[in-house]
Amino acid sequence: MAPTLCFNCQKSRAVIIRPKNRHKLCRECFLSVFEAEVHETIISNSLFTRGERIAIGASGGKDSTVLASVLKTLNERHNYGLDLCLLSIDEGIKGYRDDSLETVKRNAVQYDMPLVIVGYGELYGWTMDQVVEQIGKKGNCTYCGVFRRQALDRGAERLGIQHVVTGHNADDVAETVMMNLLRGDLPRLSRGTNIVTGSSSSDIRRSKPLKYAYEKEIVLYAHHKQLDYFSTECIYSPEAFRGSARTLIKDLEKIRPSSILDIVRSGEEMAILVPILGDEQAAPEEASVGGCGSQNGRTRGSEMAEMEKTLAQNEASASLETEIKLPSQQTTAVPLPKTNTKKQKKMVQQKPAAKKQVLGKCERCGYITSQRWCHACTLLEGLNKNRPKTAIEMEISPEEEESSTTLRRQMEQVQLAG
Amino acid sequence: MPGKELLSPCMDCREAEAVFLIRSRHLCRNCYVRFVGHKVLRRTEQYRLRRSAPGTPRGKILLPLSCGLASSVLLHMVYTQMKEQRSRPHAPEGFDLHVLIIDPSSISSSSPPLGEALELLQQRFPLASFTQLPLHAAFELVPDLGGVLPRYAGEGFNKDDASLSPKEHLDAFRASISSNTSAADVDSVLVTRLIVAFAKRNECFGIIWGDSDDRLAAKTLASVAKGRGSSLTWQVSDGMTPFGLEFRFPLRDLFTAELQNYADCFAELTDIIKPDAPLSDNILTKNLSIDQLMLRYVSSQGAKYPGVMSNVTRTANKLQASQLSTNGTRCALCDTLICNSKGVYNQALHDTSPSQLCYACDRSRPGLS
Repeated sequence: MAPTLCFNCQKSRAVIIRPKNRHKLCRECFLSVFEAEVHETIISNSLFTRGERIAIGASGGKDSTVLASVLKTLNERHNYGLDLCLLSIDEGIKGYRDDSLETVKRNAVQYDMPLVIVGYGELYGWTMDQVVEQIGKKGNCTYCGVFRRQALDRGAERLGIQHVVTGHNADDVAETVMMNLLRGDLPRLSRGTNIVTGSSSSDIRRSKPLKYAYEKEIVLYAHHKQLDYFSTECIYSPEAFRGSARTLIKDLEKIRPSSILDIVRSGEEMAILVPILGDEQAAPEEASVGGCGSQNGRTRGSEMAEMEKTLAQNEASASLETEIKLPSQQTTAVPLPKTNTKKQKKMVQQKPAAKKQVLGKCERCGYITSQRWCHACTLLEGLNKNRPKTAIEMEISPEEEESSTTLRRQMEQVQLAG
Repeated sequence: MPGKELLSPCMDCREAEAVFLIRSRHLCRNCYVRFVGHKVLRRTEQYRLRRSAPGTPRGKILLPLSCGLASSVLLHMVYTQMKEQRSRPHAPEGFDLHVLIIDPSSISSSSPPLGEALELLQQRFPLASFTQLPLHAAFELVPDLGGVLPRYAGEGFNKDDASLSPKEHLDAFRASISSNTSAADVDSVLVTRLIVAFAKRNECFGIIWGDSDDRLAAKTLASVAKGRGSSLTWQVSDGMTPFGLEFRFPLRDLFTAELQNYADCFAELTDIIKPDAPLSDNILTKNLSIDQLMLRYVSSQGAKYPGVMSNVTRTANKLQASQLSTNGTRCALCDTLICNSKGVYNQALHDTSPSQLCYACDRSRPGLS
């Protein structure tokens, strides 16, 4: 049987079947198509400006290694004029991070890019190994996630760079869309689908140039380009909603390979339709998604069951709700004494504003936060006080509350009633 | 009745033996029917209390009936309300009910034709009017469809064969779509267009759909998975649609199992309802359509987390159609407004695609899926 020829050039022998559309391509065509698509993403979204300094969030894993390699190639080929460097976070996990950091160090040499490593130890005074020692194996992902988000920003700040690119791929984004739909969290769904996150409140932008690249194609690209990457995946199991979404997406991909992109597209459409209020709640600390897969992860694995319980309680109290609502609605219809209509109008206008987060600086470290202390400092306070239970308190910390649908619903009811 | 000893009395009336357990309430048959009916009554109240201007005819709503469990139960519930209302002397006029049945044999050759069911329905529900149409009636009701399909299907479809009957024409078109997912997707688009066009021709102001809670959850997830994110504002939400009439889903608070209990209470429903073919377990995932996969997902997850699954639809209902970014262009196939989401990557769309298709319809085109 004659070998299948490449769909693209019709000359060389096809060696891969693209997971995205099942086209059979030769090695060269695949590499160039992959690069062209990332280029297209960068251009159509105007991700970069000429002369911009970019920090590539590098973990040594396949996504960030491919990102660094592709950006270097495209920067030279299309003359973006970017000043690229690698930024790594050292969580301080022996036997896991120190190995992957060696990979990043080799990448820095291979790609001729400067490398900066920011350690949890120097930033927070705690390495992850020490945190685990203190609080045990459960719940430490929360610390890791919160610390990492800040660490990337701080590392960029140290380099004087205002734009960090991360290796999030289409699978990550699709997973986030499905996960947040299951969790009922539209603001996060909207943030997760944006190619550029970070807002006016933050100096540092985040973007995902690989947003439309399939995970499988990233692996293929790394393989055919013989990139040097660290392939150990995170050992922690994903959070229950993410896990459920992940399984679902794997099944969808089997049925229709384009599903991943279709979900990303749906997520983008839905992001436009999310009530405006949701966008304003975007906190810079929550801007990123996925990461190593455990970033949003907590190892409890019972999130779905917990949400189910809350929802059941809500439904049980729903009948009471209407009984309370009716009289309070009547009272709003009666004008309050000594309040002129102008004031009332003003009050109505102020209400959404009261819900909005007021961003300020953390009293301790100066990081942007809506609270007195930023998330990381709150966690650190707990660690330093030798009070490991902070992890549990964190579940209802104000920032988390902001995105909790249950609470939002309650707040909406308060608004209705008031 | 003091002398009466009940093993487990109904929690509502305390006068009869409880036979059903719903949302941790043990209820007797009558109280169950009232409880379930109330959940639907709440959703259709607006229609029931409608008063039309003097001298004008009552407003009409359309109920598409597949003779499956959910739509039959919806018909029964809405009809019961209607009858009850008309029996009262000074009640608001409410609405007229028109029922449309799409001949199942025109959708799938393996389904038997309805046969006498139509007469049976008309007999049982004399206040409603019934129409049966084959799927290819869409050509007649949506005049431009005949031109759209050949352009949509492209080369794989023999376009200019005038000798074909409308049915053969449609069958040939549908046969040109090879993947299960795309075929199911395009079928549902055609069915919706037929129903909407019929409703408009008959001057109905709204359509009430028989989707239960779990169906809506599956539909939500499937729509997202097929790239129809912006359609959630009308596919699973109550209110105005891009088609210029209202959609409502009165069964949105009820699970399929609860509908089954309701149906079991009424003998007149048993010979009308055509049971769904059971979900077969030994089909490879890759041979399912996305709609089927999502039905399975919702039914398996819903067994453990029914609330989480219902919440999926409630979340989708929060999306605001008014924020849709569009230049008013409509998709030639599904007739919805094309969403111009900013920064969207259109690489997947081929240059050969006829313009004016939405992302998802383009995805389901033969040869691309």
